[in-house]
Amino acid sequence: MSDTDQTGPTGPYPPTADMLAEPVPQGEQDRTAAELRAAWAPPTGWRYFTAVNNSEVGLWYALTAFGFMLLAGVLALVMRLQLALPDNDLISADRFNQFFTMHGSAMMFLFAVPMFEAIAILILPAFLGGRDMPFPRLSAFGFWCFVIGGVFVMGSLLFDAAPTAGWFMYPPLATQDEGPGSDIWLLGLSFIEIASIAAAVELIVGALKCRPPGMRVNIMPLYAWYVLVVGGMILFAFPPLIAGDFLFELERSFDWPFFDPTRGGDPMLWQHLFWIFGHPEVYIVFLPSIAIAAMVIPTVARRPIVGYSWIVLSAVGTGFLSFGLWVHHMFTTGLPNISLGFFSAASEAVVIPTGIQLFAFAATLIAGRVKMSLPMLWIAGALAIFTAGGLTGVMLAIAPFNWQVHDSYFIVAHLHYTLFGGMVFPVIAGVYYFFPFIRKKMLSERLGRWAFWLIFTGFNVTFLPMHLTGLLGMPRRIFTYPEASGWGWLNMISTLGAFVIAAGFVVFVWDLLRSKGSQTQVPRNPWDAGTLEWSHDVPEEYWGARSIPHITSRYPLWDDPDLVARMDAGRYYLPDSPHGHRETLVTSVIDASPELAQRVTGPTWITLWAAAFTGGAFIFPTFHMYPPAIVSGAFAVVCILYWLWTSTARPPEHGMRDAGLGLRLPTYASGPKAVGWWAVWITMLGDATAFASVVFGFFFYWTAKPDFPPEGAMHAAPALVGLAVLVLALSWALTLGARHWNGAGRVGAARGALVAAPLLAAGGCAALIASVQALEPASHVYPAIIWALMIWVVAHAMVGIIMQLYCLAGSVSGKLTPRHDADLWNVTLFWHFLCLTVLVAGAVIGLAPGVL
Amino acid sequence: MSDEHRPDPDEERREFREERESLWRITLAPATWVAHFVASYGVVAVTCAKAPDLLGAARLGLGLFTLVALAIILWLGWRAWRQWDVRNTGDYTNALGEAEDRHQFLGHAAVLLALISAIGVVYGTLPVVMLETCR
Repeated sequence: MSDTDQTGPTGPYPPTADMLAEPVPQGEQDRTAAELRAAWAPPTGWRYFTAVNNSEVGLWYALTAFGFMLLAGVLALVMRLQLALPDNDLISADRFNQFFTMHGSAMMFLFAVPMFEAIAILILPAFLGGRDMPFPRLSAFGFWCFVIGGVFVMGSLLFDAAPTAGWFMYPPLATQDEGPGSDIWLLGLSFIEIASIAAAVELIVGALKCRPPGMRVNIMPLYAWYVLVVGGMILFAFPPLIAGDFLFELERSFDWPFFDPTRGGDPMLWQHLFWIFGHPEVYIVFLPSIAIAAMVIPTVARRPIVGYSWIVLSAVGTGFLSFGLWVHHMFTTGLPNISLGFFSAASEAVVIPTGIQLFAFAATLIAGRVKMSLPMLWIAGALAIFTAGGLTGVMLAIAPFNWQVHDSYFIVAHLHYTLFGGMVFPVIAGVYYFFPFIRKKMLSERLGRWAFWLIFTGFNVTFLPMHLTGLLGMPRRIFTYPEASGWGWLNMISTLGAFVIAAGFVVFVWDLLRSKGSQTQVPRNPWDAGTLEWSHDVPEEYWGARSIPHITSRYPLWDDPDLVARMDAGRYYLPDSPHGHRETLVTSVIDASPELAQRVTGPTWITLWAAAFTGGAFIFPTFHMYPPAIVSGAFAVVCILYWLWTSTARPPEHGMRDAGLGLRLPTYASGPKAVGWWAVWITMLGDATAFASVVFGFFFYWTAKPDFPPEGAMHAAPALVGLAVLVLALSWALTLGARHWNGAGRVGAARGALVAAPLLAAGGCAALIASVQALEPASHVYPAIIWALMIWVVAHAMVGIIMQLYCLAGSVSGKLTPRHDADLWNVTLFWHFLCLTVLVAGAVIGLAPGVL
Repeated sequence: MSDEHRPDPDEERREFREERESLWRITLAPATWVAHFVASYGVVAVTCAKAPDLLGAARLGLGLFTLVALAIILWLGWRAWRQWDVRNTGDYTNALGEAEDRHQFLGHAAVLLALISAIGVVYGTLPVVMLETCR
């Protein structure tokens, strides 16, 4: 069998003790280290910003998110000053509205979720002894999208044009709001949500396919379990909001009445879509932060975690149950009490898995020999504050109590207790714990204690009185209050506390950013931890891991005293880079047996260009400038195609590679063995969720409105809908056929199918567009939602057409061959989902009106 | 365990081999909870909006569905319990990097998830049992 036909690994695996004990000659060590160093060299000078390495992108991501957090914190301080005294006029009501809207939006969308992505991108590969994430350029693209979107949304404050309707943008207040504020929120944050989904795809594939050999699912670090769960939650939580944004922006831009009750719409649909996102979101920020605690606590207790399986249960169980809570934000909207009951019950049930992990942590600390450290101090503060927030959460899950305190400062107190305890404190603990890994320096113990006690005290002084302020009746989001209300002294205490928190953050930021040049070199494993990230190189190297180890336990650094020395010697896998490529190891999902030496992408400007043009496509519509938006979108597509064409799934020069320890690995894979296929699969799962949310909207109107569809309404032309479904399904069948024929070596037949398929798809789009021409979307919500479904299908079909043509071009130019057909596998997978979308949309548009 | 009861090593290797496992399997019990939750919410929402008089029938139907969901979770939990096999191995942590440990760990996780899913289903049934009207 020739080298290029081989698709599986050959050679011994797992390695024996003798193979591992055999020393690596010094000359070879030096040669391979030099190869790796050259392949992973970071770009210098002004090209520094082309870096895509996870250590650079993760750091930028974290610092940017932290910067947005500080800005949002300053907004909070100004609001606290305004509220310190009754009848205060420091800022106007409108500016106050802008500030609380942006405070919440920025903390959630520009800090909490991006911070999870940032930290995960930064440290997950190190936990897994890996070189980088599987798609470094995707991380970089996501980061630049985040920067552009974040600066745009925050920048609106400077022009007095920020959104004012609160961070959950309820219609009709937000739909009827004058000025571009709501559009800035919708388009700017949709853009960032897409970046979040990109990060989720990256992290899920990273945790599933890029673990070191031997790291079976039962011994992977708990952090990876949490990343997997949270990535999955992002896939199911963010798409409903994106679907909601899609409908909302159609209403804002074209007056399609999705949320306007005078024309059959319903503002409640937005509340449902927002909170199907919004409640899981709380757990999306909580779980990865508590995952940091799950990494710090065994180190502090100097023993393995107690109840590993229980913590996995807790992460997975919380992930599921958290989707059954969304209506507890809507208890006062007049839904049937029996419906409220389901959500109240699930809200109480989620406490069980959430509590289990805290008990597992406590058990670990009790069973271990605790060595109190600064990270542990922050974790302890987190547990105390989160527990208090959790207890008020149990109270709020009870509907009658909720009715009493709804929209009062009791809610403000509750949510800050959960988010400070569940997110801010554990993340700061993580900063202290991982700082020696990230920057190869230590943060100051003394300053850290000052920061802790200032923030911890300030936090409780600020938010503990707010429970009482709320019970005394102060509503949230009011810009001032009369003296007679009697809330003045409580608000003054809260304001004083807020400035104590701010003082603590000043100390923390100073410690973080001050020059540490005079510090002696940190020890490699300063906390005596047991997990792989502490095998890092001091001083810094950019290759991630010198060689990728074979792992046989949960705490390899504790259990295998020779491991680090062997990694350093290049004894393990991929210790070299004979062709100067950046590579990482891809392994199987369950048992992490080696499958592939995956080439990963390096520094480039194209991700910045792609992000800039994608930004244009989202930002221009804010000001109703549609032609520039379309041009910008087209340029974004061109940039992304260039990026894919030049650097992904290209046939390798060498089909197999010596991976070390006698193992030979293929360098190319297609279908389910390829990381790209997994990424498409996961992305499309999210996309299908968004589509399902739009379809949910259709049926929501049917249950909520007696006149849906209205008497005598025009319907989509059934014959044309049927034709469109048929032709698009044929296009799907031809795409699938092209993959089969290409794989069987019948390249001509495959190319023929790839010529016919896009033509059919274009015809299907035309038929679908024609089928709804008689409907007037601005007149009533029924034609509007049918148009929305049509737009959804056509937009996806256009992407599908580009993909088919991309494969055709690949086949003609030799990029795509019968052996190297990863692109065609991925495109077929996209078309499977598209075909399903077409069938469902066709049934809803064409058949449902007759049945309902 | 005496020698004659020890399974043939080849058979053991087959039983624990990677292709027989799936991460999806541990999510089946929570997925049953999801199905029960969505059905409860959907049936009640449609009944209360379109035909409040039929709520009695809807509650009865949901009660029966609860029994079905609990039966499914019980069955999944029992299978997972056998996979965990803790009464034979006495190993509660499965912390080693062997195929057998991974196999039993996935069983353990699935047992615990079945337990929490069953609690979730019972909680989710309480409103149906206790509330007799939509209001």
